[in-house]
Parts: sequence; C-alpha cells; structure tokens
Amino acid sequence: MTTDSNSSSSESDDQNPNSNIDQSLDAIENQLASISMSSHPPTATSLDEDVVDEENEEEEEEEEVEEEKLVSSVNGSLNEEIVAAQAKVDSIEHEQHIETNCKPGSSSSSFAWRDTTEAEPPLSPSSSGYAGERGSTSGGDDDDIGEVEHDGVLGQWVSGKRHPDEDDASVSWRKRKKHFFILSHSGKPIYSRYGDEHKLAGFSATLQAIISFVENGGDRVKLVRAGKHQVVFLVKGPIYLVCISCTEEPYESLKGQLELLYGQLILILTKSVNRCFEKNPKFDMTSLLGGTDAVFSSLIHSFSWNPATFLHAYSCLPLAYTTRQAVGAILQDVAGSGILFALLMCKHKVISLVGAQKASLHPDDILLLSNFITSSESFRTSESFSPICLPRYNPMAFLYGYVHYFDVDTYLILLTTSSDAFYNLKDSRIRIETVLLKSNVLSEVQRSMLDGGMRIEDLPVDPTSRAGPMYPHLGLPRPATDSSGRIRDAHVGIGGPAGLWHFIYRSIYHDQFVASEFSAPINSSRQQKRLYRAYQRLYSSMHDKGMGPYKTQFRRDENYVLLSWVTQDFELYAAFDPLADKALAIKTCNRVCQWVKNVENEIFLLGASPFSW
Amino acid sequence: MANMSHNNLNAKLVLLGDMGAGKSSLVIRFVKGQFLEFQESTIGAAFFSQTLAVNNATVKFEIWDTAGQERYHSLAPMYYRGAAAAIIVFDITSTDSFERAKKWVQELQKQGNPNMVMALAGNKADLEDKRKVTAEEARIYAEENGLFFMETSAKTAVNVNDMFYEIAKRLPRAQTSQNPAGMVLVDRPAEGSRSSCCA
Repeated sequence: MTTDSNSSSSESDDQNPNSNIDQSLDAIENQLASISMSSHPPTATSLDEDVVDEENEEEEEEEEVEEEKLVSSVNGSLNEEIVAAQAKVDSIEHEQHIETNCKPGSSSSSFAWRDTTEAEPPLSPSSSGYAGERGSTSGGDDDDIGEVEHDGVLGQWVSGKRHPDEDDASVSWRKRKKHFFILSHSGKPIYSRYGDEHKLAGFSATLQAIISFVENGGDRVKLVRAGKHQVVFLVKGPIYLVCISCTEEPYESLKGQLELLYGQLILILTKSVNRCFEKNPKFDMTSLLGGTDAVFSSLIHSFSWNPATFLHAYSCLPLAYTTRQAVGAILQDVAGSGILFALLMCKHKVISLVGAQKASLHPDDILLLSNFITSSESFRTSESFSPICLPRYNPMAFLYGYVHYFDVDTYLILLTTSSDAFYNLKDSRIRIETVLLKSNVLSEVQRSMLDGGMRIEDLPVDPTSRAGPMYPHLGLPRPATDSSGRIRDAHVGIGGPAGLWHFIYRSIYHDQFVASEFSAPINSSRQQKRLYRAYQRLYSSMHDKGMGPYKTQFRRDENYVLLSWVTQDFELYAAFDPLADKALAIKTCNRVCQWVKNVENEIFLLGASPFSW
Repeated sequence: MANMSHNNLNAKLVLLGDMGAGKSSLVIRFVKGQFLEFQESTIGAAFFSQTLAVNNATVKFEIWDTAGQERYHSLAPMYYRGAAAAIIVFDITSTDSFERAKKWVQELQKQGNPNMVMALAGNKADLEDKRKVTAEEARIYAEENGLFFMETSAKTAVNVNDMFYEIAKRLPRAQTSQNPAGMVLVDRPAEGSRSSCCA
C-alpha cells in the first residue's frame, strides 16, 4: 500500500499513467476486495436479512457494520475492469466521475454472502465514551477504562472516538459501513471516524495517491464506485476529505456531508490553518485537533438523524409567539453592544437569534456551531469564552464566543469580534438571564421539550376552519397530548390520517424546517434512520441538477409512499404507509401545509426585527 | 502588609499547562469540591470564580481555566494578560507535560505581568507508581525560577485548596477592590514578589 502512495509523483507518470492509476485504484480495490474475502468462510450464506436486522437492532445505533458483504471480484478480472475504467479516466472531462464498476455477478468469480456470524456482540469492548484530551500524546493508560453500554435508543448515543484500537488491518474496521477520513495533501492522516489516525498512515497515503494522481493529470476525482462502496473525495486546498460508504446514499448527500465536516474543521481552526501547510507541507495537523473527536463523531452521527444536514435549514423549538418575541427582544437589546450574533438554543433547536446589522447567519453555521457546543462537555461545566470561526460568515477569522448553559439543554451563545469582551458578554448574559427568568421563558422551554413538536395524529381534519393559534400548543388543546382521547381520521391505519407516517416541511423564505415527531410505526432508531435516508434520497432527486429540479414526486416502494412537493415558498416531504391511496395522500399533504401555515408563528422564528435578517 | 484590615481583593488567576495535566480537575476540585475520573477537554477557556478568606481579607479569584491543546497556545495571552496569579500545571507521570510547563513559565516571564504570583503544580500525585518527574527535580526548577511548588492531586484533593490559599496569601496587597471587573494592574512597581518561593 505505502509503495503505491509514491506513484503519483514519480517520473514515470508521463510515460505510463495508466499503470499508475491502475495501481492506485488497484490498491483501494484490493482493500475493498479483501474486506469481503478476509473475514468469513463463504459457507456462511444467506441468512434471512430480517434476522440480521433484528440482531443488529440490539446494537448501538451508530455501529454501522455491514450485514451484507461487498460483492467483489478476484484480482484478475478486477484488473481488467480497472483498465477499462482507466480508458474512461483518460477521456473524462473536468470533474467527471470515475467509475470502476464491479457489477454483482458480472464475473463468474464474483461471490456474495451475508454476514451471519457477527451480527454482533460488541465488536470491541473498548468503545470508550471518553474522548479524553490525552489525544495522541500522553496518558494512554486510562483510555480503555471508560466502557460504555450502548443500546439502540437514539437519545442515548454516546459521543467520542469509537474503536480507537482498530486500524485498516482489523476485520471490524473494514466492516464499518461508513468511514470518514480527513488527510493532508501530503497524505498525513488528520481524522478518521474509526480507528487510530496514526495507524492509518498507510491507508491515508493510498487515498492521497489516488487524489494527487488525478490532480496531476489536470483533473479532479470526485467519486469511485467499487461494488456497493462509494468513495467520495473532496479537495479543499491542502486538506482532503474522503468518505467510504456502502450506505447507498446519493453522491450529492455524501459530498454535502464532507462539506460540513470541512466546515466543522474550519469552525475549530479557521482557514488560516492552510498557512501551516504552506510553511511545511508535511505539517501534522492531528495535534491541532486534540480533544475534538467528540465534535466530529457527533456531527457524523447527525448525518443520520438531523435533516438540517441536507436541508440546509435550521429548526426552532416550538414556542408561543409572544414567548419567542420576548426572547428576541432581550437578545436584540444586548446585540447592540458589540455583539455580532446572539443565539438562545435548546439542544440543536433555535429558540431565538438575532444578528447585528447586516450580519446574517447561515443555517449550516448554526448547525456546526450547535454541534460544536453540544458535543463538547466542557461548555456545560461553566461559562466559557472560546475562539470560534463561522465558516459561512468568515472562514478566515475567529470570532469569540461566550457560551453559558442556563439548564441542561438550554444555552446562550454570544459571538463578538473582540477578544477582550468577556466581561461585557458576561454582563449581557446576566441581563438576559434575569429577563428570561422573570418572564418564565426557561420553564416554557422545558415544557415545550416535554410536549414535543407536531404529531401526525394531531393533524386537524379541516385545518381551514381554524384561524390562527388559539390553543396553547401547536393549535391543540393541551389534553390532546394524551393520545387515548384522540379522535382519529376515518382512514387511519397505523400512523396518522390516510396512512401518513411522517413529514418534513421546509420554509424557504425562513430558511427553517419543521419535522413531525416520530410515531408508530417509525418507532425504532433503525426505522427512523431508514426513513431519514429515504428523505435524503428524495431530497437529492428533487434537487438533481441534471434532470430536475422537480415540482412534485410520488414514489412507492416496499417501505413507504414518499411524496414531495416543492414550491417557491416551501418544500414538503411526506412519508406514508406503502399502501396509501395516492389521491388521499395528496389531499393529506395539503392539509399538512395548511396546518403548518396555521401554526407558523409558533414553530418558526419569524424575523421581524430590523436588526435581524 | 499592615493595611489589609478588611480588604476585598479581586484577583485574576490563570491555569496553564499541557492538555490532560489536570487543570480543569484542579479548578473543579477547588470550586465545586468534585472530581470526575474522565474530565472532558476544555474548549477555549472556562471561567470560574471562588472567594477565599485569608487573614481578615477576602480574595475573590476569577479563574481562567485554559485549554491545553496546541491550537489554543497562540490565544493564551488573551487569558493571562493582566493576571495576578498563574498556576502552571504538569502531570507528574509525564515528562512531556513538565517540559511544556517550563515553556509556559518562560512565556509568562517574558510576556506576563512581572508581579504575577506563579505556582507550579505537579498534579496527579496520587499516581505515585507511575511517577516520571521527581518532586526534587520540580522543586529545584521552581526555586530557580521564583515559583512556589506543590504536588497536588485533584482526585484525592491533596494540596488543592492549600495551593489556592497560598496564592491568595502571596498576592500583593497593593491592588485593592477598585478593580471592578477583575482586570488587574500591570504597571505597579515591582515589589520583589517573584523572589519569594517556598522555603
């Protein structure tokens, strides 16, 4: 592997580029092929997938281990295919995909089997939730102590580095469904989702070789397909990001995830980190990121549950209009005095936010900022003052962030350009806190957390008959939270009216979205993740630049009926029972839209104030 | 020193040291009386305050617990600027962290407030069997550089409060309560406080 890493720069490039990319791709193919060949005897064949699913459900949610093994070819035929692909490489236009198709069953030597034996008692016992600051330098002794019990409940996901003991030689490492790597242009590992970065130096070098080989040809590699696996590349100056995934997510989604990963890196270090590479191309960046494993792993985790990661919109905690106005007013009040942005948030949801004149906050920055803060335990200990860069606002410069938690979930962020504003910001926080306590905002936030958001079972039968929010919580009388007393539509199966299971509504004008709460039958985290991925595909197909964009889409498969509807004002994505009636589903979507509009001022932050955007 | 009848003193104190040396653990032990086996990395710097009564006076410490990661080094001046006291923390089981501590001392001697009270804390004293830095070595270094030295354990609480108490005692009394925000004077005449160290 490591020998291949030099191939890109060698002098033989001119004479025989084919052999070089052949080697590089070969190297990665070998990696992937050996993944499937190394672990299990092929005798363990076709176990019913449901069984595997069930067993895996016991597992911690994010442990994405392949159930189904990669379909692969032996090297002989593989090489031919790569050579064939190479012909394409030579002729591709700028930024085209390289595909090395190893079609399932395309060669007699292909084989596939399912993983039966290892659906898994925890792969390695040391999945430590302790993201220790020891990082790479000191005190490794403690690393294996913090053993954590995982279970399938979404809310109990534990952040931090997983399986730090693994490397690319580990069977378990190779079976992970979705890898993320950050490396430098000299091939030095910077971050790996699984395994120890330092032990992955050889693997990183291989990835670097592939990228730089194609770059030397004046081209750029974006995607390599190898059987079920997609290898997605993103080059950001001296920093390379790679995702290797067999989750069948669309290329655009994976690329978007790499963009966010890069954004998170910039949030921590700013883009001026590039200068370190100008001074010293072999610069080792891992030490600069010490203690941030939890930040990255939590972001990657959000790629499988938080629609904000692909919608590029943020969501608000549902609150009475007047309550949110009161929060906005006090934030506005302090925002004048040297504060660039003030945000009050509850977990990943916005309660209110304001920006100084002309300053606007991108939804992606909100996502990265809240991920950074909620995943770093240290912010909860006391008030903090930390340099933070907002990549969409200004990737080159640090802002200074004052962070204070009012309770377990609710926190205030005040961002300023001045590095000595701490005591100012602290005073502002005290003023804000006084107002929030006096007007009971914090307890209303707590109540909203308990009440949750919109529930499909509560979809009003005739939403037009009601004008405006007359009820305390999302247009509903409070007792309705007790599901026993609920009046259901005539067409209910499981789920809501007309077989509605779930929806996401994105308001384009507000840059915000609202998603209904999960309810039966989308109960388990596994089902939620599957639906999430289905939405992701739907979103990506609606926004496909090649063929789209589309206005409506109705698709039925064995899992769902998915309906999406994009207008100038909003985008609606809804999931129904796979047997749902089309006409009724459309009618239901209209009702959902009407419902959302009726409660709009409770679920969205309506930017009315002159300072905000 | 006679005029400290009933003084309220605000003193900015900064903790510096390698990551994982136990800065946050020391502060949390001092401020909250707690200890976490797995203390998460500090981001940027965390702010705490705690008041001590020393000889008829109260000292309100405004404590900056800085992050030890390399990426924050260039930002350290933001936190130690104007500090009346600094605790430089190292981990007695790591020679690297001791070397890092020496670098911090140098930086403070060059850039910091010249009257700053500096303490060197050899933390994790409970891990005697993993010790890499001898108490003698650290003590000699501290004496040579005008720091006072203590071995501490945030885990067992040994010497933690004593250290803050000792700092409070050594703070020059010139700076009185007219410092509302805890920013400490930098341009006072030197009083030779740096020459004092543990006997």
